[in-house]
Amino acid sequence: MTDVTSLRPIAAVLVSAIAVVLILASHRRPDLRESWTLLAAGTKLGIVGSMVPGVLSGQVYVTDIGTFVPGVRFALRADALGVLFALLASLLWLVTSFYSIGYMRGLDEHAQTRYFAAFAASLSSTIGIAFAANLIVLYVFYELLTVATYPLVAHDGTEEARAAGRKYLAYTFGGGVAVLAGTVLVFWLTGTTAFTPGGIAGLATADPVFGRAAFALLAAGFGVKAALMPLHSWLPDAMVAPTPVSGLLHAVAVVKSGVFGVARVVLDVFGPDLVGDLGVGLPLATVAAITLTIASIIALRQDNLKRRLAFSTVSQLSYIVLGLAVLGPYALVGGLLHIPAHAFMKLTLFFCAGAVHVETHTDDISNMAGIGKRMPLTMTAFGVASLGMAGIPLVAGFVSKYYLLIGTVSTGHILFTGALLLSGILNIAYFWPVVYTAFFESPERDDPKPVVENVLGGRYADGEAVTDGGHAPDDTDDTAGEKDDHGYAPDHGGQGPRDRQETQANLHPDHGPDGKLAWEHRGWGGEESTWFMLGPILFAAAGSIVLGIVPDAAVFLRIVRLVVTSATGVSV
Amino acid sequence: MTDLPALVIVFPIFASIAVLLVGLVRPRTGWPIATLASIVQIAITGSLALRGFNGDPVQYVVGGFTVPYGIELVIDGLSATMIVLVAVVALGVLGYARTAGPRSNSFYATYLLLVAGLTGMSITGDVFNMYVFLEITGLTAYALVASGKGGRSALAALKYLLVGTFGASLFLLGIGYAYVATGTLNMADLSGQLAAVGYTSSLVQAAFGLLVVGLFVKIAVFPLHTWQPVAYAGAPDAVSGLISALVSTVSAYALIRIVFSVFTVDFLLANPFARTVLMAGAVVSIVTGSLLAVAQSEIKQLLAYSSVSQFGLIIGAIAVGNDTALTGAAIHLVGHAIMKGGLFLTAGLIGTNAGSRTVTEFEGLGKHLPIGAGSFGIIALAMVGVPPTIGFVGKWYIALGAVETQSWPLAAVILLSTLLTLAYFARLIERMYFREPAVTTSSVETTDATDAVNVATDGTGTTPSMGMWMTVVTAAVLSVVLGVVAFEYGQLLEPTIEHLLS
Repeated sequence: MTDVTSLRPIAAVLVSAIAVVLILASHRRPDLRESWTLLAAGTKLGIVGSMVPGVLSGQVYVTDIGTFVPGVRFALRADALGVLFALLASLLWLVTSFYSIGYMRGLDEHAQTRYFAAFAASLSSTIGIAFAANLIVLYVFYELLTVATYPLVAHDGTEEARAAGRKYLAYTFGGGVAVLAGTVLVFWLTGTTAFTPGGIAGLATADPVFGRAAFALLAAGFGVKAALMPLHSWLPDAMVAPTPVSGLLHAVAVVKSGVFGVARVVLDVFGPDLVGDLGVGLPLATVAAITLTIASIIALRQDNLKRRLAFSTVSQLSYIVLGLAVLGPYALVGGLLHIPAHAFMKLTLFFCAGAVHVETHTDDISNMAGIGKRMPLTMTAFGVASLGMAGIPLVAGFVSKYYLLIGTVSTGHILFTGALLLSGILNIAYFWPVVYTAFFESPERDDPKPVVENVLGGRYADGEAVTDGGHAPDDTDDTAGEKDDHGYAPDHGGQGPRDRQETQANLHPDHGPDGKLAWEHRGWGGEESTWFMLGPILFAAAGSIVLGIVPDAAVFLRIVRLVVTSATGVSV
Repeated sequence: MTDLPALVIVFPIFASIAVLLVGLVRPRTGWPIATLASIVQIAITGSLALRGFNGDPVQYVVGGFTVPYGIELVIDGLSATMIVLVAVVALGVLGYARTAGPRSNSFYATYLLLVAGLTGMSITGDVFNMYVFLEITGLTAYALVASGKGGRSALAALKYLLVGTFGASLFLLGIGYAYVATGTLNMADLSGQLAAVGYTSSLVQAAFGLLVVGLFVKIAVFPLHTWQPVAYAGAPDAVSGLISALVSTVSAYALIRIVFSVFTVDFLLANPFARTVLMAGAVVSIVTGSLLAVAQSEIKQLLAYSSVSQFGLIIGAIAVGNDTALTGAAIHLVGHAIMKGGLFLTAGLIGTNAGSRTVTEFEGLGKHLPIGAGSFGIIALAMVGVPPTIGFVGKWYIALGAVETQSWPLAAVILLSTLLTLAYFARLIERMYFREPAVTTSSVETTDATDAVNVATDGTGTTPSMGMWMTVVTAAVLSVVLGVVAFEYGQLLEPTIEHLLS
């Protein structure tokens, strides 16, 4: 590996930071404002992409700005792992920018300037996290990311959004405190926090008690954003944000920055060998295995689509953490490859949920019977991505899960293999009903859904029956009339009567045969929505298929191999 | 210019007299003279600071007496920082006060006297002399608090007077004990003599206890903080900005002087109990101050309790007492002064312009007053310790120092203080940006009522002037930019801290 001094890493961070200023300045001219977003996204992708060939040939691009605090340089290093994350984030930002424009204009949202500015700031911080050269710089951007994403979570300004925002701040800043504490410990033990492939040398000789404490603090701190149970509950609540935010930030950038932090800690701070020697990998893997299983089970019972996707995210993120914590080379490849694989698939799913919301205001799965007729392309993309989530071959999820399974078997952790397989089955169990109901049911002929509808265990039958038949849409929050809910529901039961009513508005007897209620038929040529939204959906879905069919041709697997080889010395 | 150290104290006093005398002839000359004086003061302190940071401390004996008997002025890196800080903040607040008031000549005269007192406290090398300046500072601060026009200001000043005088008396008693034990008042001399008497002598211990508790009152460490919220909330906006930025800061500086220059680290080693008390003061102040801040509904009271909490960090650094922590203390003293002064002035500006003086009235400010709300938000985040702002850097040093000495409980509280600070600022940020103002008839009436009160207390109901905006925005920018240069400052401070701990 050779270090090359270059301004490209800092340029990649700054380009969207500059865009923030331009976006704020052109708040009176929406078209100009959005063009800044697109321009910045394109430029950022170009800058990050330009570093890929060099990184693949073993170069590391470094920008060193100066000393920040004693012993710690404020430096950015674009190494293989960093480029993996940065490339993913900047590529998907460009896609999401188009989608955001379609989504926000489709809903005629308020405060769009703030939204696009905060989005650009979030991406700036995300790239900073990817390229951070040491724990302190990583912490700096990790905190800035929290600050930049808060306006997006609380975007609506409703009571629910504010509560979600508060919870988000409390959880992520709490995680930040743990990260800072772990960083202080590492610095105190070794006098450095710089990322070193294979681990910081001084840590191996340090007192193992403090070593373990530092690992626990760092893993817990990053685990908050990686939504490890029991630190995950901010994520389902943050679904109150507009759907592009749920898609890019809460399935890709923010949560992956937590996972990325764990990867840095395992690979470049402690090193896989030391993590194994300290015996801290197994507890982390156990937490991850428990999380991925339980989250899948919880997802089964979510009727609200965005909540189901959120718990699916919680579960899938733990695949990555599990792969990192098992420590075998194959498991590491599987875990790291699942970062882009999950990103493409989950982004597709969220984009689909958002498109359905914008077009029909239908958010609960129980109201989606027959919606495949109204939105054929969207629901097909949804089907493809959910197959990938379940690990069916030819879609991205298969490749990474395959590596994960081999990795857990080859290191002898059969229990984890079992958890992965079980979760795969559960994935089918919670995604298939959505596809099934969309294409094979109709509004007047749909099967009962006992898992969702019945009270858990049957004993706590407090029943949500209310004498007035529940709340009507107009007697909720006073701001509900003017503000959109972005498909969010506060509990697993979904939005209830309100969503049913909004769905009914789309159904008409003229659409179905024999005068039955049905969705309007739209063709496969893109009449179901705007191409601002369909384009990104199809792009992300295509991406997950490419990653699944020709993983070696897509650049991500090559980068992942490079990372694992340099961290473990084993060529995979 | 060998008399510069004396001049830096005397000049603001003369300027203060000038304000008063010229004011008799031409009534509206207070502000120009005070501003001119502040600019000159910055030049003097700047040139002194250059000398203070270069090599050995500048020592100057007043009136040509020899050292243990005459009053000595000492300028090292730490005191140079303080005098520059005092001069700069004084100028900044003057820029704000021009429109915001109070505007009488007696106000400007008192203002300059306060600057003299604070500067004196910073550079004196004599404990009794320090008491004198402490009293000058105290009395002028009481007067400034009382310069608001409402009854509330008068009551606040009275409470401040009673509690502050109590603290100063304890400080004086402490000096008395030390004098009885050693027969000297010069700091450098005292540290040698106290060692000779023996650190475990009860006389020396009593002196330490009284001095520290006296200064605790002045710094407003919980539970001796009771004057602070009343005084800060009751004072006119410009005054609360000034005293929140400087008075407690310089008192905390004085505590560093007393603990490390007079009693030295060896005293703390010989008396673990003393360190425990400092540490307990720090922990209790951080936690309780934050909790009380969360409970406040008035912005200025909230900010005052925030100070109680933030000074807990400084006390914590003193209790840790290694070079990392003390560098952190110095950085956080400067950082906190800029941030808290900035917050008070921003709160004042928001109060003047939008009439928002309580937490609920901050609703929807992001829309009506974007620059004011933005500045407030940025400084608040800096206070929380979001990197790379100055608030983070100070906290990093102090936390690292605590870890280095393995003071785990203190380290944990310092790190968790981030969340505690977040607890009271997040509330405001949320209200500014994600809530629409409640438009009920009753709240409009109360807003009008507060406006009326504001007009009465400040003598203004006018829109903010250019000077006010400039000061506020500068504070916001500084609280971010200083974080980037803090490392260089820490390097400059290194010889001073080494000398302090040797």
